[in-house]
This record gives sequence, C-alpha cells and structure tokens, in this order.
Amino acid sequence: MTTRDLVLSALFAAIIVALGLLPPISIGLIPVPITAQSLGVMLAGVVLGAKRGAIAVLIVVVLVAIGLPVLSGGRGGLSVFAGPTAGFFIGWTFAAYITGYFSERLVKAEQTGIAQGIGFFIASVIGGVVVLYAFGIGWLALVANIGFSKAFLGSMAFVPGDLVKAVVAALVGRAVMAGYPLLPQRT
Amino acid sequence: MQTLHVDADTWMHRISPRLKLGILAVLGIVLFLIDSIPLLDVAVAIGALLYFRTGLSVGEALKRLRPILLSIAVVALFGLVFNPIHVAIVTVLRLVALVLFAATVTATTSIAAFMDEITALAAPLEKMGLLKAADIGLAVGLVVRFVPEILDRYRAIREAHEARGIKIRIATTLVPLIILTLRDADNIAAAIDARGIRRH
Repeated sequence: MTTRDLVLSALFAAIIVALGLLPPISIGLIPVPITAQSLGVMLAGVVLGAKRGAIAVLIVVVLVAIGLPVLSGGRGGLSVFAGPTAGFFIGWTFAAYITGYFSERLVKAEQTGIAQGIGFFIASVIGGVVVLYAFGIGWLALVANIGFSKAFLGSMAFVPGDLVKAVVAALVGRAVMAGYPLLPQRT
Repeated sequence: MQTLHVDADTWMHRISPRLKLGILAVLGIVLFLIDSIPLLDVAVAIGALLYFRTGLSVGEALKRLRPILLSIAVVALFGLVFNPIHVAIVTVLRLVALVLFAATVTATTSIAAFMDEITALAAPLEKMGLLKAADIGLAVGLVVRFVPEILDRYRAIREAHEARGIKIRIATTLVPLIILTLRDADNIAAAIDARGIRRH
C-alpha cells in the first residue's frame, strides 16, 4: 500500500468520524434530519473504491476498539461490539468493500452523469443495504435471540432511510468523481 | 480528542491489557453458553461492581452506557412479543453483563496499551506481507490530527452557504468537504515520505 493510499484512507476515516460529530443534517429529499455516519460508509466505497474504502472504515473500527468515542452520540469502546446491533457496525467494513467493488465495476469515467449516478446507487444499495443488513440481521437473530424472520422484519423499518442515503451517496459520489476522481477503474 | 479511558489507578488498571482482553473474550463465549437466570444475575452483578469501581462517577458511567442499554431494551421488548419471557430475560442479562465487562476493559485500559496489543496482533499479518503494523498507529494518529480540521472546514463551508443565501444540504456540503480534504492527501503523503516515517 502506498503512503498516498494510506493517507487517503485515514483522511476518509477522519471524515466518517467528523460526520458523527456533526448535528443531524437535513438532506432535502425527506424532511427528517439523518445522522450522516452510515452515509460515510457508503461514501468511502463510492469515493475511494473497494480496498481503500474498506481500510478507511477499518480504521474507524480500530478507533472504536481502542476506546475513542468516535461513533455518533459519543459512543465508543469495546461495549459497542457487545450490543444487539453490533452486527451492523461489524458489517460496515464489508459494506464499504462491496460498495467500492461494484462502484469500480459499474462506473466508468466516460459514462454520462446519469449512468454514473445509477451505477453508484446500485453499488451503494448492494453494499450499504444488502450486505450491511445481512450482517446486522444475522447478529440480531443469533446474539439477541429474536429469530431470523423477526430480526428481518424489525430491520426493514430502517431500509427506506438507508435507500435515501444511497441516493445521496450516488449524488455525492458522482460530483466527487467529476471534481476529483479517485475511484480505481476495473474492467 | 477525548478518550473513554479513565485516568485512575485501580487494581483493574494495573492488570496487563492482554490478560483483560483475554478474559473478556472468554467471558464473551462463556456468557453465551449459560442459560441459567441466577448465574447470569451474578454475572451482571459482578460486571456492575467492576464497572462502577473503575473511577468513573456514577452519572458519567451511566451516561456512557445509556445508548447501548437503550438498544438492548428495544430489542428485548421486540423479542418479548414473539419469544417466551425466559429467553428474553436471558438475552438481556447476557448482553448487559457483556456490555458492562467490555466497558470496564475500555475504562481501565489506555489508548497506548490498546495500540500495543493491536500492533502485536498485526505482527503475524505483517509477516504474511499483508500490512505494516506500524501503519496502524500512523493512521490512527492521522485521524486524530485531522478530525478538528475537517470540522473547521465544514463550518467554513456552512458559513459560505449562509453568506450566499443557499440552504444547507448534505449533498452540497459533503462534496466540497470531501474534495478539499482528500486533495491534501498528496501533500501529507509527501511529508510522511520525506521524513522517512514508513521506511523500515
């Protein structure tokens, strides 16, 4: 890993941490303000690609593990790994990787803006919703003992919000790609 | 940046971090094998006793665990609708005990001690050529260094929006924030390489 890649990942980890410290922001599409930290996970994959995006999120996981209160609401420490929703937190790294993987495959520099946006949206949904919820629901079902079908149903309440975040990730990803392209290209 | 480590000198602070993490890992497995409510009660009591003896004030100690205890309560109530009450109680006690033990380890172990353990854990990966263990410390240092700067930059972007009468929206603030921050990467990387920090 080059020093530049390491620095890019660390800076993005810092952005994810900063997003947790900001007050919830209105995103314009829906009236309810959202906490932006889980949006940061999708963005890590969308902006940096699979490997560097996953490392950015992994750095945040390390920060939490060593006892820094870097999650939204000042949460942190090892107890984060012990709660019923820890699966979502552990799934973050994989979500960023998969989002990045599909972004690299689906989005090309020469595509039109709309095609890029759709590519980023699909990548964000696969990584930030499908993969992330697989981890979160699996953990809820096994650790919190509520069974797969109920864990699945209970989690579905949060999917609409995450789909909106995927739209925002696609818009931001496209704009960053136009202004300062970093996404590795894969064929 | 504030940490969750409590600067005190209890006997728990003096136990080696590796031992504490080892005990926590074992407890994580053992607690999930226990189904008896009285035994889990004892575990919660011990966990609470240890956690409230870490030198934290009671108010601060409770404040730290409030979000996670709340999520345990919500999941338990949800489970209660479908599961027998015995299962719900066992699950709550198990998770609360584990959370208390985990929070105790976090409160009694310094950042430096954790970093040493993580570096030691990464050593086999370094031998396999997957990463450099020293990079982990470098990355953590970079994040701590740059979070305040990113927050300042966010404030500046907000003010620029307000000055121009544009409504503050996440999509329009995040794009300049990400581009301005990541554009520093080349200079920072050059500075790190110029100092030979990653040379081994």
